[in-house]
Amino acid sequence: DEEFNELCFEFGLELDEITSEKDIISKEKGEEKAKGASDTILYKIDVPANRYDLLCLEGLVRGLQVFKERINLPRYEKIIPALGEGQRLIITEETVRVRPHAVAAVLRNITFTKERYDSFIDLQEKLHQNICRRRALVAIGTHDLDTISGPFTYTAKAPSSIKFKPLNQSQEYTASQIMDLYRTDSHLRHYLHLIENKPLYPVIYDSNGVVLSMPPIINGDHTKISVNTRNVFIECTGTDITKAKIVLDIIVTMFSEYCEKPFSVETTEVVYPNGKTHIYPELAYRKEKVKSELINKKIGISETPSSLAKLLTRMCLKSHVIGNGNNIEIEIPPTRADIIHACDIVEDAAIAYGYNNIQMTIPKTYTIANQLPINKLTELLRLDLAAAGFTEALTFALCSQEDIADKLGMDISATKAVRIANPKTAEFQVARTTLLPGLLKTIAANRKMPLPLKLFEISDIVVKDPNTDVGARNYRHFCAVYYNKSPGFEIIHGLLDRVMQLLEVPPNEENGYTIKATEGSAFFPGRCAEIFAKGQSVGKLGVLHPDVITKFELTMPCSALEINIQPFV
Amino acid sequence: FTEMPTDNFVESSFWNFDALFQPQQHPARDQHDTFFLQDPAEAPELPAGYTAKVKKVHSQGGYGSQGYKYEWRLEEARKNLLRTHTTSASARALHRLARQEKFSPVKYFSIDRVFRNESLDATHLAEFHQVEGVVADRGLTLGHLMGTLRQFFTKLGITQLRFKPAYNPYTEPSMEVFSYHEGLKKWVEVGNSGIFRP
Repeated sequence: DEEFNELCFEFGLELDEITSEKDIISKEKGEEKAKGASDTILYKIDVPANRYDLLCLEGLVRGLQVFKERINLPRYEKIIPALGEGQRLIITEETVRVRPHAVAAVLRNITFTKERYDSFIDLQEKLHQNICRRRALVAIGTHDLDTISGPFTYTAKAPSSIKFKPLNQSQEYTASQIMDLYRTDSHLRHYLHLIENKPLYPVIYDSNGVVLSMPPIINGDHTKISVNTRNVFIECTGTDITKAKIVLDIIVTMFSEYCEKPFSVETTEVVYPNGKTHIYPELAYRKEKVKSELINKKIGISETPSSLAKLLTRMCLKSHVIGNGNNIEIEIPPTRADIIHACDIVEDAAIAYGYNNIQMTIPKTYTIANQLPINKLTELLRLDLAAAGFTEALTFALCSQEDIADKLGMDISATKAVRIANPKTAEFQVARTTLLPGLLKTIAANRKMPLPLKLFEISDIVVKDPNTDVGARNYRHFCAVYYNKSPGFEIIHGLLDRVMQLLEVPPNEENGYTIKATEGSAFFPGRCAEIFAKGQSVGKLGVLHPDVITKFELTMPCSALEINIQPFV
Repeated sequence: FTEMPTDNFVESSFWNFDALFQPQQHPARDQHDTFFLQDPAEAPELPAGYTAKVKKVHSQGGYGSQGYKYEWRLEEARKNLLRTHTTSASARALHRLARQEKFSPVKYFSIDRVFRNESLDATHLAEFHQVEGVVADRGLTLGHLMGTLRQFFTKLGITQLRFKPAYNPYTEPSMEVFSYHEGLKKWVEVGNSGIFRP
């Protein structure tokens, strides 16, 4: 187990959990139900999102074996059948508006066992979730070739004219009936919307009118594959041709291992509406040249070109030294669609070398360090405010609409708040425009603490601003509240004076700060003042209105102060 | 290390994802993981020349890359969201650096809030803080990155470190940094890092 964990770590996989079927059932349903379940050890492995070739057991084992140099990377071969003997998939014009692309391939004389069959189905599901973006981009269909006869037609028809027996059902349904049938199915109902509102639904027929599938929803029962299937016809339809090709390549390379002639795939011819034809799967091998010096430099090691070539070969990138010995030619197999730049090759070389074998060095970059002025000011203020006897709080930047509007006696449209389109709960509907609700909620959650409660926070608020490039901006605010049996306006006022003293702003009209009595919806009438400094209004202070106090579930009087500290930087 | 400005919680998809080579079809851009904004819903302004370059690299490739080969859409990049990582601020800082007259090596850092659309539980919050560091210079290697991280974590009192290969859309090579936690008696992930893709 330890050894496997190490291997995964080195290769770039995360061994999430070591468990067994028995354990899983135990945890979810209790020990009783787990009796009789399998005890065999299961490894849960996390695979990086860009490695589609490691999503099934076959690919994972193959990758690891090449990494440990136990086997050589197999060569995937295309077998192009003699003229007239191969399968053909004809795409008609109607598909263009709903799901235009399709690719196909055949696995000949394949031998399935229960495990291989399960793995085959599992890989399709994983690919659907991953690169196919939950079947939206590509949908995979696999069929028993011996139950159908080509050439196959991929077309789109009105829902009422499509009728077939879906997988594992006992009778025929029309397409519209199928939509209703699966509306409550926990698995398939998520895909219905992909074609539901289109005038034509995609469908694949064979030459006798037998329905292979209605992508991306469901395959036909007639063509379902079983453990005894010998010849498999694979089709991938979708809206992204690049991804469809990658998906097809992955499936065939992974499972062609079990064909009579291992790692060989029979091609099919796809005919487009305009008459052009294309042979799939492409199974393209790409050659790239990289300077060995580049690899060494980027990683910080110094390996000879031939040892670098060996490292890359271990990562399924067959390489050898060419030319005058400084360049490496790398052959990228169809299973590594994630290699799109020389830096991907560099990473693989580093992985094979072993990240933890690389010597750690410090870059010789000389720079002068600097703190952002606004943050420096914030840090200085925080220390002094704590010294003044106030406790710092850190609250959420997202809150409900009521928090910044109704509870403070304001209308939401006057706040210029930024709204969130997809909040998970009502607590995160808008970004805060004032720090006050956060502090009041903190007090409400801490009612059992001894009085007086003196809290402050210096943090960002967000407001809409049409002058910025994204339409909103942050302002650094400072807010303090005093909660006690008496409101303590003089304490909050004193705090303001202290802060201004620290900011070196004198208490006079011309070049300093003043306060003027005003009305505020959140404040007690006659006990509210606006603070002016640096030629603008920077905030308010006062005793909070009893309505506000009640709405935040508090019971004692409270005075508050909130100012924008950006002008003081 | 000089502090980078991070004073915008609201970010456009362009700076948060597209400029960082995260494809528009990536699951992280789904409704489930990101907070998209209703108001303001779209960023009015995106850097014109740079946007064209980003579009090209995603759809056709460039700078030595094959690209993702899909149709890149401007409307998708305009969508506003609450940033999911402070790397968007790093992208802005690097863009500013690139437009300087003469290149000067820099080291940037930032510590600020990020937002992810998750349900709250014992180990997950919808908003949390990230510490980010960037070094830009000629001739930097993976060894340099590891060395810098080692020094950083040593200052925090974390000395047992191991590096594991990882994947980020915008860095290659990428590494996750693991440290041995005495209390939990196992290796836990303490950071993520990588060398930005050319």
